[in-house]
Amino acid sequence: MVRYLVHIGEVLIFPGLLFTAVIGLVTSWIDRKVTARVQMRVGPPFLQPFYDIVKYMIKETCVPAGASKFVFLAAPLFGLAAVTVASTILWRPMVWPEKSFIGDLIVVLYLLTIPAVSVVIGSFASANPIASIGGSREMKLILSYELPFILACLVPVIKTGSIEFGRILAEPMAAASPAGIIALIVAIVCMQAKLTLVPFDMPEAETELTGGAYVEYSGPPLGIFKLTRAMMLFTMPVFLITVLWGGIPLHEGAVPAVLGAVKYVGLIVITVLIRNTAPRVRIDQAMKFFWGPVTLFGVIAVIVAFIEGL
Amino acid sequence: MNELIAQSNMLLTDLSAQPMVLLIAVPLFAGIVCRFLPSKGGAVAAVIAFLTGIYAFLIAWPLFNAKAAAFSHHNWLALRLDGINGFILLATTVFSLLILIYSFGFMKGKDRQNHYYAYILWTLGASCGALLASEFILLLVFWGILGVTLYLLTGISGPEAAGAAKKAAIVIGGSDSILILGIALLWVIRHTTRMQGAPVEFGGPLSYIAFFCLATAAFAKAGAMPFHSWVPDCGEKAPASVAAFLPASLDKLLGIYFLYRTTTLFTMNSGVTTALAVIGAGTIIFAVMMALVQHDLKRLLSYHAVSQVGYMVLGISTGTPLGIAGSLFHMLNHAMYKSCLFLCAGAIEHRTGTSDLDKLGGLAKAMPVTLFSCIIASMAISGIPPLNGFASKWMIYQGIIESGRSGGVLWVVWLTAAMVGSALTLASFVKLLHASFFRQPSPEVAAAKPREVGPGMWLPMGFLALLCVAFGLRYLSPLSRFIFPAVNAPVSFTGKWFVGPATVMIAGALFGGLLLYLLGTVKKPRVCRTYIGGEYLDEVYISGSEKSTARDVEVTGVDFYQTIRDMTPFKQIYTMAQWKLFDLYEVGTHVSFFISKIFQFFHTGVLRQYISWYVIGMIILLWLMK
Repeated sequence: MVRYLVHIGEVLIFPGLLFTAVIGLVTSWIDRKVTARVQMRVGPPFLQPFYDIVKYMIKETCVPAGASKFVFLAAPLFGLAAVTVASTILWRPMVWPEKSFIGDLIVVLYLLTIPAVSVVIGSFASANPIASIGGSREMKLILSYELPFILACLVPVIKTGSIEFGRILAEPMAAASPAGIIALIVAIVCMQAKLTLVPFDMPEAETELTGGAYVEYSGPPLGIFKLTRAMMLFTMPVFLITVLWGGIPLHEGAVPAVLGAVKYVGLIVITVLIRNTAPRVRIDQAMKFFWGPVTLFGVIAVIVAFIEGL
Repeated sequence: MNELIAQSNMLLTDLSAQPMVLLIAVPLFAGIVCRFLPSKGGAVAAVIAFLTGIYAFLIAWPLFNAKAAAFSHHNWLALRLDGINGFILLATTVFSLLILIYSFGFMKGKDRQNHYYAYILWTLGASCGALLASEFILLLVFWGILGVTLYLLTGISGPEAAGAAKKAAIVIGGSDSILILGIALLWVIRHTTRMQGAPVEFGGPLSYIAFFCLATAAFAKAGAMPFHSWVPDCGEKAPASVAAFLPASLDKLLGIYFLYRTTTLFTMNSGVTTALAVIGAGTIIFAVMMALVQHDLKRLLSYHAVSQVGYMVLGISTGTPLGIAGSLFHMLNHAMYKSCLFLCAGAIEHRTGTSDLDKLGGLAKAMPVTLFSCIIASMAISGIPPLNGFASKWMIYQGIIESGRSGGVLWVVWLTAAMVGSALTLASFVKLLHASFFRQPSPEVAAAKPREVGPGMWLPMGFLALLCVAFGLRYLSPLSRFIFPAVNAPVSFTGKWFVGPATVMIAGALFGGLLLYLLGTVKKPRVCRTYIGGEYLDEVYISGSEKSTARDVEVTGVDFYQTIRDMTPFKQIYTMAQWKLFDLYEVGTHVSFFISKIFQFFHTGVLRQYISWYVIGMIILLWLMK
């Protein structure tokens, strides 16, 4: 019983929902601020993402006529739950290495696709053609990046022969080997699509689809979606660092922790820079891009990893 | 004479005391009774079938618990129960029972119900026979009966299914003859037709041919490529309950069971396992790519019934206890969610009269139980944690990684194929959900005014969907109860998935999200009309202009993956698939017609020509024999 209460505490407060949400929202503030500075604007105050979430909560909830109300409202919750659990599973070994693991690499990999799936299902449940198009693009985007992303994630599996985070974390991957570096680059490109940030934001494409997948959402459900996105913005880089870059070992003292934080900020800066300098591509271009060159680099990373293991 | 009668009486009492014999004989006999009922006696046949189903389950349950039993009579009637077939036997009876319950509602008012129930019962009896047989000849007999009942059940929906039934019968029949060849070759090697015994070492072409002959029978039954082509046709044309019964559950159970049995008869080497892995990985990807572009609900599901076999074959090909356990678990899980999906398709067809995805839509509100069963089963087949499909796929992935530890690089290819196949599966199910449930209803659906099906139909669906959740959240208990005894080696996981704490966490996180909702305004949502492009959707949607009923704004979802279809390597492959180049049956038909055309050329009907052929032939023969 106490064990379960501890689990609930972990998932709701630290390192789960509250922790991930706060850091995620702060990260989204960095993103917005940098974007604003790039565009010669002042940018929002520090607490703006938090104000936004509160405001979403007090706005009216609209459910489109003809929509499946339960699916429409439940979809955001499953996305939020998945990213929360994924984040908890990821952070546990980095905070308390003595605790047993809940899941492994494959579990987290699958959990991290659920937020995107929940957007797809939610958009379909809106019974709006524009949302349907957005949802279908999101689904095709999942298809595109999944192949190279899996290849990149297999590099540490080839190196360690294991899918356990404990074994993978023991190996300081990217810094040490060419295979790890290539895999990290591939994974960063895939992360951009997984976060549906420019140039891969065609599921919501404000200018042509007016929000696309989110077009019918308003109030708290939209707030939950935005919160989930902010949490993904935090969790995805952490996942990359954990799998390919030695992790952020909070338990090992200040220096490794700060080093991990620097890696995290570095990834965020790369993401924000790409988002502010690239134009949006079409979905077919994105698919060709991911299944073509990016997958090629993923395959090269895998081959190099095998060669290094000889 | 009296002695003979006494002897046969003794034999009868001897046989009827054997639960294994009863399990085979009673459904076969009850089937005969149903078959010869008058055609108006559909309800009676249904009751007889239902009672027989319960009876079979009541026999199978203690048999499963007994774990081991053997019975042999005159050396050929040899039945044997062990860890491998026990749980499959139980699953067979459970699925049969569920299908029979579903059929009450589904078959109501349809023609030839007595035939339908008779064939179902024969299938049940013959399946139990094929599972229990420990003698290849006996297995062959039941295997043959299953081919016949598959033909009869597929063709039951009328003349439009005749082609599909013929195809199924020819593919399965052809594989049966290959099976006979395999058994004969195995006899040459082992001098026995027993299905137990010391494994055969591979050496010389004979053993390889024997193995692949046996494997071909398993592949054809389970529907692995390249012997899959009967599955999509059968799934599309046969009644949904038959599709849920045979290609979705029973044929998978039997095929994979037989493949596993076959692998236990040989000492596998890396060449053979690589060949199996190629078939497995190829099946996963090709079939799921085909599923992506289907326009028919049942055909789409059938391609997944093919694709999922790939995972099972891949799991067996790893040769590791974990991979094999994952494969068998996946077989069981697949039977659950795929039957559930076919039953959902049946419910949709029952209410709307069509399974064409272009003509469906808007069923989310009308058929909530079907919707939720379908969503759960779709997520399970796509391997979304914490559902059962994830647990078994995760085990297969680990098995693949473990098999890579002994060297080799190909395991990465298999693993990538399996994981990407999972994403593609998700994509095609997302399309299915959109096209049939979520989008605006098509005029056909609006005219049909659909409502939820009766409890006789939604109970089996809902039950299977709940099983998918339960087997996912408690995956260790079915594993240790059903699967691990079947694998003759200790199974140890290399990954981590503690689903107990994870469930608590998921529940906690969902609760957290719900808390945010309750703080907000979700309790009183306002229902708004959908507004797009400056107009209300329902106005634009129903009619562009007042006169026409054409729909201007419509996304069916059926063409979601046109992007992939138009992409360069896939475009050509899809075109080749349209020419049925990958369909062994069609290719075989063309080849045999081509050969017969050559012979037709010689077949002129002119007697003098025939005589000259004879003379030429005789000269050649004599010259050869000189």
